[in-house]
Amino acid sequence: MAGAGGGGNDVQWCFSQVKGAIDDDVAEADIISTVEFNHSGELLATGDKGGRVVIFQQELESKNQPQCRGEYNVYSTFQSHEPEFDYLKSLEIEEKINKIRWLPQKNAAQFLLSTNDKTIKLWKISERDKRPEGYNLKEEDGRYRDPTTVTTLRVPVFHPMDLMVEASPRRVFANAHTYHINSISVNSDCETYLSADDLRINLWNLEITDRSFNIVDIKPANMEELTEVITAAEFHPNQCNTFVYSSSKGTIRLCDMRASALCDQHSKLFEEPEDPSNRSFFSEIISSISDVKFSHSGRYMMTRDYLTVKIWDLNMESRPVETYQVHEYLRSKLCSLYENDCIFDKFECCWNGNDSVVMTGSYNNFFRMFDRGYRQDVTLEASRESSKPRSVLKPRKVCTGGKRKKDEISVDSLDFNKKILHTAWHPQDNIIAVATTNNLYIFQDRL
Amino acid sequence: MEYKVEAHRIMSISLGKIYNSRVQRGGIKLHKNLLVSLVLRSARQVYLRDYYGGICLSAQQAREWCEGEYMDSEQDKLVPGSTESLPESDGQSEVAVDKQEPSNVVESHAALDVESEASGEQDHAENGVLDSGCSELKTPEESPEASPTCEVSNVVTTISSNCISGPPPSNPKQATETPNGCQTDDGESVEEKLHEPIVPHTCTNRKRSADDSELTDSLPKKTKVMSSTLISKNDEKKAETEEMDTSNVSSLITIFGSSFSGLLSSEDGAQPDSEAEDSDSGQICCDQMLKNLNPWSTAIVAF
Repeated sequence: MAGAGGGGNDVQWCFSQVKGAIDDDVAEADIISTVEFNHSGELLATGDKGGRVVIFQQELESKNQPQCRGEYNVYSTFQSHEPEFDYLKSLEIEEKINKIRWLPQKNAAQFLLSTNDKTIKLWKISERDKRPEGYNLKEEDGRYRDPTTVTTLRVPVFHPMDLMVEASPRRVFANAHTYHINSISVNSDCETYLSADDLRINLWNLEITDRSFNIVDIKPANMEELTEVITAAEFHPNQCNTFVYSSSKGTIRLCDMRASALCDQHSKLFEEPEDPSNRSFFSEIISSISDVKFSHSGRYMMTRDYLTVKIWDLNMESRPVETYQVHEYLRSKLCSLYENDCIFDKFECCWNGNDSVVMTGSYNNFFRMFDRGYRQDVTLEASRESSKPRSVLKPRKVCTGGKRKKDEISVDSLDFNKKILHTAWHPQDNIIAVATTNNLYIFQDRL
Repeated sequence: MEYKVEAHRIMSISLGKIYNSRVQRGGIKLHKNLLVSLVLRSARQVYLRDYYGGICLSAQQAREWCEGEYMDSEQDKLVPGSTESLPESDGQSEVAVDKQEPSNVVESHAALDVESEASGEQDHAENGVLDSGCSELKTPEESPEASPTCEVSNVVTTISSNCISGPPPSNPKQATETPNGCQTDDGESVEEKLHEPIVPHTCTNRKRSADDSELTDSLPKKTKVMSSTLISKNDEKKAETEEMDTSNVSSLITIFGSSFSGLLSSEDGAQPDSEAEDSDSGQICCDQMLKNLNPWSTAIVAF
């Protein structure tokens, strides 16, 4: 697989598709809140603030157009979560889908986990393209026949029908979290998964909905002593006993479930000492980790905090092996970003299929890719203007000061309402899905 | 100086965020509020350090003044309707909330710092609280009317587990106008004295204990009151706003110093229920302050 683009390696990213309304007036329910490819990359799922899940399926590559990979078209849409009301606490529970995780495919059906703040659901997505016809006792429309008119017997046979994709909730995992769920992660054993909220992590069996094991609990006895919360958690891709969780203080803890039932004692603690020269009122906020992702190999993990992406080697806890500045020019603007709440935005990050490139989002509908091997980075934009089919995306540049060159954008003209928080990379190919506020852009490399 | 202004602004913004988070859909977000409280704490520390630095300059003068006046005033500190001007100002600087407290603690910076640092992490707020007493002493410079708020502020600040400080409650302006009836002349003289940086009198642990339980309940309520007051006062003049924000902040500071529970009360479903009654509890000595607080009690109950 090729890299980020530009310079030493030749990947050029082209616009492929955009999904969603063109309207500038964004309905709150349409705001995309999560994006995830399945394990083969054939399916792409998005969740939104309205509690809906939309699944796109990649069309088979056309033999007529070998230059084009298949397009993604809507495969299934369903309402995963509804708004709820907690009567005891007089609190509304948002239906916003926080995370979607696919299960590895075992049979013809597809399974995914989707979660809102409090409840996780296992959905089965199955296809139906045949229907039985020729019943003896029923007409085709379902009405019962008059038994006296039945003179012969026949065996019903399956006839093809228009493809119907059905989504049905197979399991509902509820009432296990007091605080807001921020992560779910399926174990490599394909039997268990974890769910993490601000203070606790629970281990579930996919078959059992009425109980879960609490494996991490950082709630202090006295809530007044609360200093950090859990911000993300993930299972190791290969080792079913290992998982990590990140905190609002910028630390990552790796835990081994073989060590004890309750993994409050970490096996490894990954923390980089703070640079005292960068200390400000907002140092704690910007060091809070918003996402943690293992590499496909399982050797590395990536963390995203407000201004940087860091790659950690699991064998070295003292500091990350690589640090990439996503938008360092925002460091001097932290106060304004605090005022308009942008400093609390939780950006996600993702690896490409062979762990050579990482990608994350920024503001002004920019997203960034960092090529680890070639030590290059590129900034691209997801916008309707560059949305002609197969048009190559032009690298963007933010001017940090001094004279603004042509085609550069100054920091002050960045639109902080246009943020890319969710991105996903196809597990094998150079196809990426980038979510702006209410649109999903699909880009692929130029073949 | 600009750090102080900036810190103050950040504190106000943070309080606004915490206030707004209570009405957001989906319930209070623990993570965001934790981060906001950390910012609030950092800003407060800078703000108070700034004050503190200024106060240290004439600590000597202040010490003399305090020692001279304080012993007289402390008896009157929390007496409602007291006509002593000195107690007002002294009370404010003092932080001693309890009438029963016989001794005034006039501490040097070093002592203050040592005490603060000794307490450990939970006392960060307390540290700030201690300092806020100091900082509040400065407010008269901005608006001389701040002095009479001492009693209420004292009440408010006592909440912290180990320290007392006397941030004036919001609306010091009103409080000042008729602090205790016949204060006016004395008030001026007091103000003059207050203009000198005064070493903050930190209440030592022993002072606080008597009042802790009573005041604890009042604090969360006051915090909320402060928040709402804070927001409603956005249109006022900067000096007044600053002053009131300071008092709001100070009150909230003590909340954060002593507990996160104010923040989490709705998260956990518990509602502070005895607040309304505490608003009129005996610790509030100044009649005017009482009048000011009553309208707030409805706001409190609303929360």
